[in-house]
Amino acid sequence: MSSLVPLYVILPLASAFLIPVFGRLVKGFQKALLTLVLLFLTILTFHLIFGGLKEPVTYQVGGWSPVEGIPIAIYLVLDGLSAFTLLIVNLIGLLATFFAISYIKRYTAQNNFFALLSLMIAGMNGVVLTGDMFNMYVFLEIAVIASYALVAFGIEKTELEASFKYQVLGGIASLLILLAIGMLYWKTGTLNLADISGILKEEPPDLFLTFTQILLISGFGMKAAMIPFHAWLPDAHSSAPAPISAMLSGVLIKAVGIYALLRLFFNMFALTYEISLVITVIGALSMVIGVFLAIGQWDLKRLLAYHSISQMGYVVIAVGMGMILMVQGGDRSVAALAIAGGLFHMINHAVFKGLLFLNAGAIEYVTGTRNLKMMGGLFKSLPVTSTTSLGASLSISGIPPFNGFFSKLIIIVAAIKGEFYLLAILAVLVSIVTLASFMKFQRYAFFNKSTFSKKIREVPFAMSLSMVVLVVLCLALSLLIFPGVREVMLTPAVDVLMETSNYATIITGM
Amino acid sequence: MDVLYYIILLPIVAGIILFLLPERLKAIKALFALIVSIIVLYLGFVVYGYESQTVQLALVPQTAADGSILHELLVGAGQYLTLNIDPLSQLIALFVGGFAVVIAIYSSRSVHQKKKIYHFYPFFLITLGSAIGAVLADNMLLFIFFWGILGFTLYKLIKGQDEKSSAAAKKTLIIIGASDGIMILGIAIIWQLTGTWNMSELDLATSSSLEIWAFITLMIGSFTKAGAFPFHSWIPDFAQHAPASSTAYLPASLDKLLGIYFLTRLCVDIFRVNQWLTLILIILAVLTILTAVMMALIQHNFKRLLSFHAVSQVGYMILGIAIATPLAVAAGLFHMVNHALYKSGLFLSAGSVQDKTGKEDLDDLGGLSSRMPVTFFSALIFALAISGIPPLNGFASKWMIYQSIIDFGHGSGIASQLWIIWLAGAVLGSALTLASFIKFISGIFLGRRKEAFDSLREVNILMWLPKLLLAIVCIGFGVFATNWVVPGLFESYTGPFEFVGVWQSSTVSLLVLIYIVLGILIYLAGNIRNMRKADAYIGGETFYETAGYRVTEYYNTIREMRPLKEIYETAQKGWFDLYVLFKKLFYGLNLLFSKVHTGVMTAYAIWIFAGFIIIMLLLL
Repeated sequence: MSSLVPLYVILPLASAFLIPVFGRLVKGFQKALLTLVLLFLTILTFHLIFGGLKEPVTYQVGGWSPVEGIPIAIYLVLDGLSAFTLLIVNLIGLLATFFAISYIKRYTAQNNFFALLSLMIAGMNGVVLTGDMFNMYVFLEIAVIASYALVAFGIEKTELEASFKYQVLGGIASLLILLAIGMLYWKTGTLNLADISGILKEEPPDLFLTFTQILLISGFGMKAAMIPFHAWLPDAHSSAPAPISAMLSGVLIKAVGIYALLRLFFNMFALTYEISLVITVIGALSMVIGVFLAIGQWDLKRLLAYHSISQMGYVVIAVGMGMILMVQGGDRSVAALAIAGGLFHMINHAVFKGLLFLNAGAIEYVTGTRNLKMMGGLFKSLPVTSTTSLGASLSISGIPPFNGFFSKLIIIVAAIKGEFYLLAILAVLVSIVTLASFMKFQRYAFFNKSTFSKKIREVPFAMSLSMVVLVVLCLALSLLIFPGVREVMLTPAVDVLMETSNYATIITGM
Repeated sequence: MDVLYYIILLPIVAGIILFLLPERLKAIKALFALIVSIIVLYLGFVVYGYESQTVQLALVPQTAADGSILHELLVGAGQYLTLNIDPLSQLIALFVGGFAVVIAIYSSRSVHQKKKIYHFYPFFLITLGSAIGAVLADNMLLFIFFWGILGFTLYKLIKGQDEKSSAAAKKTLIIIGASDGIMILGIAIIWQLTGTWNMSELDLATSSSLEIWAFITLMIGSFTKAGAFPFHSWIPDFAQHAPASSTAYLPASLDKLLGIYFLTRLCVDIFRVNQWLTLILIILAVLTILTAVMMALIQHNFKRLLSFHAVSQVGYMILGIAIATPLAVAAGLFHMVNHALYKSGLFLSAGSVQDKTGKEDLDDLGGLSSRMPVTFFSALIFALAISGIPPLNGFASKWMIYQSIIDFGHGSGIASQLWIIWLAGAVLGSALTLASFIKFISGIFLGRRKEAFDSLREVNILMWLPKLLLAIVCIGFGVFATNWVVPGLFESYTGPFEFVGVWQSSTVSLLVLIYIVLGILIYLAGNIRNMRKADAYIGGETFYETAGYRVTEYYNTIREMRPLKEIYETAQKGWFDLYVLFKKLFYGLNLLFSKVHTGVMTAYAIWIFAGFIIIMLLLL
């Protein structure tokens, strides 16, 4: 089993290099290869989650075993949390790629597009799997540099501007992260997460460590687009081609932002109350301010992009509440509930936000505009797009029977049970404003009177199919509320975060 | 107990199947929906016969083996699936089924016509199943699940293909969805306090602040669903722009049944309401009655007029439930049933008129009584019932509410001291209702007929039969109120009670009938028929159409009266509509935050460092 783990990095990385070479020679090579790779990885992840993965699996790159308990090789670790995140990355990646098969016909240089996309996925898979601090940084840079290029893919004025801003601000964040890694290496003399965690456990917390943690919160906070580090997101996410927007909003900010934060703060550092509080407050700020920024937007993709900030806020407050409860010795079952709610919302957000960006892409594909005021009456001419986007809109606004309802329900219930009343009220308020702004989207895009003089046809099959699969997932993920399904998919991931020291034990064997 | 699965799942599954049928097969879809509704009504009768109990459903089919994937995935789900069968839920489920059948008959004809909605029948059936699920659910999570679906189906039952109707659809779902979100808070607080999700296990005193918040949040949910002040503002917009069958189905009947059902559960079963909350409830109830009826008085659009009454009448129900004596609860529930009967009937009548004439303004209509006799007759019955004219059902339930207010005055609570105010408000509301229904009836059916309507025909039997059925039930419920209907339907839930005042509905009805017969006899026997006809004296002028007064114009006096004039003007600007107020607030906040986002990259970079430094200052 452990020999399969590196495939998550190798396959997309290999296809990123093969595509430019053979893509010129064989027609359709780039599309087929990436789709197949991601299909394989998605199936593999499903297989691992639903049966294959009983115990966490580690893989030592190069085959070097630890010497006297000191790990030498770079470790790839596949446990509940990484499997869960890999599922998000590869599943949404697969559907976005499939969508792109038709969508990308508007652009030239298809080889570059698919090569960059697979590079980005390789980077994200690497971040999720790696057990090494610097290796994580490298994969992070692979993913985000590919995304810089993809944001600018249309090479028009706004796209280049967005990409430029994204690069500069992303560069600042990477710098902060690199600085933190350097400081950790200085302090502990190792880069292995498990090893660092073992050494830090014996050290009393001091200012040096707190400073490192603040660096990491700022750096990864920017990757996760938390307020006040969010300013790059609305430009970047709205300028990219639609499948890339779906990947950026649906996956990238989670894999390189939230996931990294969770992994480092739960499994590497010892949790402290102050840091937990800071994370929760940042989450709450993002949740509230993000949604108020979103509601007034008339550019459809910008509206969606701001909602990503707000929805990530839900994930962060849920996890932050869990952290606070664990630090304060509160009810651990409530902490587990909050974290489960956060992770559940993370996968839900990946699905519905991915779908919404694909919808926006489909609308742009047929009408050529992203301005809500210029649309209207698309309900009749775009039945698939409008139905799927209604499903996604209701999901994100938390209307049953769609998945978003259940994850928000869990988060709110956990907040009340953990006596975070203000957060619960804010969560409900934000949910209401979210509903309002998505009703606005539905109304102006699909209802109202049609303003188009030319005949509008439904988008091609590949695009429709991706959207239909995603809307089915929006409904199917509701099943996670059932204890049986939860045990299989969510609980292993939650356990990784609850049993904070298990991660180190798996790797060092101690 | 298999019936319990079927009564909830059958309509939902049938609805999902109907999605697959193409829109062209409308007749088949309509028939299918009608058959399913009838089966559900029958199952409702079966459930009505059950003993009171709570039932835990097992979602896992008995046939699934222990090791199978299906079993693995669904095991443990049963703990959420508890249902509560008690007289209240049985009663409401039965009426939900009944209304579904009536509306299904009506819509089989009317939905074909101009205002076509995509997938009417699938959403119709899903609504039916969810409504019954919400009523029977004992587990609060299951309850909020079904309850939330109803908001979504409501949104899909309005056709949003022009500016106004899509705005109405949007507003409706935002308000309903917001109230559902707020209810989750209440449910979570209850779970935190008691550790149970089951309504039947709860008995909370409203003494601590958490309990009060739980009550208020859940109350907001029921108020919004039923459409009580100040959460009512979606109803007028929805009713004005949605087709009649949608309005008659959800806002007029099912939403009232559900909202009041849940309020009853809250006030009677889940909480022991303290006197201050009772006072708040009663004040809101009286405000609902009066504000909505005042708004109804000045409406010219008859669907909007009806919808304000759909709000106003909710006040009586809340009044009954808030007082919470057995008599009062029975009165509130009885009024709820009555209201659903006559209000859905009124909306169906309005829909028929609109279908035939294409007009929805009272100013454009008149004199249709001879053209549409059945519609006229049933609309008249409904209008008299809603205005509280004996011996119809509206009078019976209002009379019970008055009795319970007077009885309530003997109590010691703060709200009891002021009973005379509540009584005055309720009676005044009733009088104003009568006033505005005179306008409705005479505006549409009486007066001089426009030539354009001379060749008008009565609507199809499928469209008048449901109205006639509802009218007959209205009469029946009124005539037999005290001897059969009230004791038979409500006493099993509220417990025995006695009427304070003397009212023998059947005896009085008999007397009324005798007087009517006597009147007819005198008319026939006497020489009244030999009356003299003469033209009106108009000073020798030629008679013009414009010389007459439309019935609606008499009501302009109210609009022009001080200080009502100013109040109406503010109301028209939306200052009493929470939706409009919050919209302004949210867009204001949006402007505030957007101003900071200038798009200048250096500013954004500074934010990153500022955030970094602020965190550092806080922690280091």
